[in-house]
Amino acid sequence: MSVYEHNYRAYAGRVTPVWTRIFVLARYGFAEAWSSKITVGLFTLCLLPPVVFLVGIYLANNPIARALIGGRGPQALAIDASFFLTVLEVQSWFAVALASWIAPRLITFDLADNALPILLSHPISRLGYVLGKFIALFASLAVVTVAPCLLLFVYQSYSSPLPWVAANLHIAAGLLAGTSIWIAFLSILGLALSSWVKWRVAATGAIFAAVFVPAGVGGIVTGVLRTKWGFLLNVPFMMSALWRRLLGAPESARSSFSLPTEAIAAMLVLACFLCAAMLNARIRAREVVRG
Amino acid sequence: MNDQIIFEDVSKFYGEVLGVNRISLSIPPGITTLVGPNGSGKTTLMNLMTGLVQPSSGHISVLGLSPVSSPELFRILGYCAQFDSFPRGITGWEFIFDSLMLHGMSAAQAFEMAVESLERVQLGDAARRKIAGYSKGMRQKIRLAQAIAHHPRVLVLDEPLNGLDPMARAESIALFQELGRQGMHLLISSHILDEVDRISDRVVLITGGYLVAEGSIQQVRQEVREKPMQVLIRCDQPGLLAAKMFSVNHCVEARLQADGKGVFLRTGDIDQFYSMLNGIAAEGLVKIESVAPADDDASAIYQYLIGSDGGTS
Repeated sequence: MSVYEHNYRAYAGRVTPVWTRIFVLARYGFAEAWSSKITVGLFTLCLLPPVVFLVGIYLANNPIARALIGGRGPQALAIDASFFLTVLEVQSWFAVALASWIAPRLITFDLADNALPILLSHPISRLGYVLGKFIALFASLAVVTVAPCLLLFVYQSYSSPLPWVAANLHIAAGLLAGTSIWIAFLSILGLALSSWVKWRVAATGAIFAAVFVPAGVGGIVTGVLRTKWGFLLNVPFMMSALWRRLLGAPESARSSFSLPTEAIAAMLVLACFLCAAMLNARIRAREVVRG
Repeated sequence: MNDQIIFEDVSKFYGEVLGVNRISLSIPPGITTLVGPNGSGKTTLMNLMTGLVQPSSGHISVLGLSPVSSPELFRILGYCAQFDSFPRGITGWEFIFDSLMLHGMSAAQAFEMAVESLERVQLGDAARRKIAGYSKGMRQKIRLAQAIAHHPRVLVLDEPLNGLDPMARAESIALFQELGRQGMHLLISSHILDEVDRISDRVVLITGGYLVAEGSIQQVRQEVREKPMQVLIRCDQPGLLAAKMFSVNHCVEARLQADGKGVFLRTGDIDQFYSMLNGIAAEGLVKIESVAPADDDASAIYQYLIGSDGGTS
């Protein structure tokens, strides 16, 4: 039997609140996501459309510039809810590409490297781990969606007379809400699918497939059963309808179906719960060896 | 606060596969070594203790804390996982520093403690290099540094000596012994039975998910009554000593050594044996030079209770 001196002193100092530690993981995730040149390349690509839109806003608000390039009149390019809907749609679909590249880097690497037991043997919960990764992905996507959309709105507000801003503030709110809902959904979907597919390339494909394949299934359901509810599986259709309503843009003349906003919201919430269940099942510290 | 780690009738099943079954243990401070073959349930036991997996039944208490409340538990517990795995692309320094930040230290405190733990495992010079470029021994050390960096009260080390060269092994063992002496709980799993002998205050033998034995090596050995204990006695008259010993029926075997200066005896009752040996020595009939138990070590009890020689790493 040993003689114990009992002079070991465990750390008994102050510790930071649990919520602040989530940002350590977010920082990890952010660094991991942006360490790839492909991420930087995709990011650059995502910023090209806002440059085009910026030029459009400039031309719409500057009669001299319009005259120089032979513009037809002040109404040739209307900067209104429909314009910002186009901005939002373009940036949102670029965000899908970025999410499908970044999300697997955040989760599949940890799973493939078996790093979860190490990370989860700290005073953070599984929820904290997922939140950290979520913040990293959400922030990365916000840079190509929320930020350019709102900056374009600010530029339009600056370029146009004051009454335009007063009359169109709802567009800014719609842009913020529309992009936030989309990238939050995309983030949780990306993390959930990445947690189930250890191979990064397959995870990237799975994210694309999860967005676009159900749209095809929904189309078949709609065609066969002659019901509009098949569109609830069509993410692009649903989001487009939601964004249109959030921005106050007129309904598309091409669309013969309309889904209630409540149904779209319920479908998104359901998908998020499904993703949360997937994450709950996979984000566990499994370190079991059976020889 | 309770200073024991307690397992009460703990079982863990992975579907239909048995992890551990009905384990009841009480582990005091000091160095406790988990010994068992691959797949015996050592890692499961450690994961249960750290809350990384939840028991199918039973109750676990680590110094009064339930592993279900893992965030609280991990403030007082350091865990060095078995697998050679790390978050991708980080340096040794980032691994320790960020780990301390995750433990809730301020940046200044984390800096100070990271320096201390890296120096303790002698990795200060390599700290700024990426872990991916470390040797296996250095990776083992950086994991150990991460486990001790936040000054835990309980240290759980899964195969911490694997991959270390003899010098690093000796340094690690010295560190474990120092921490154990200071009153920290160290739970170590190891296949290296020679080192189990050197470092353990207690051993826990486990095989097939079942607890086979626990206690100090000597206690466990004495409990294995069906295997007579072996004692090597060096003396001037080994033949006379063997004859005397055979006058009692607990002595079952005697082998004289080739040089004629020693006898190897096996006895079923070690207490009576020593008592009798004291009597013989006191009478002055035999001049005894040394008495050395030959099979009260981890290797012997492993062989007797589990049935093989264990492993080397």
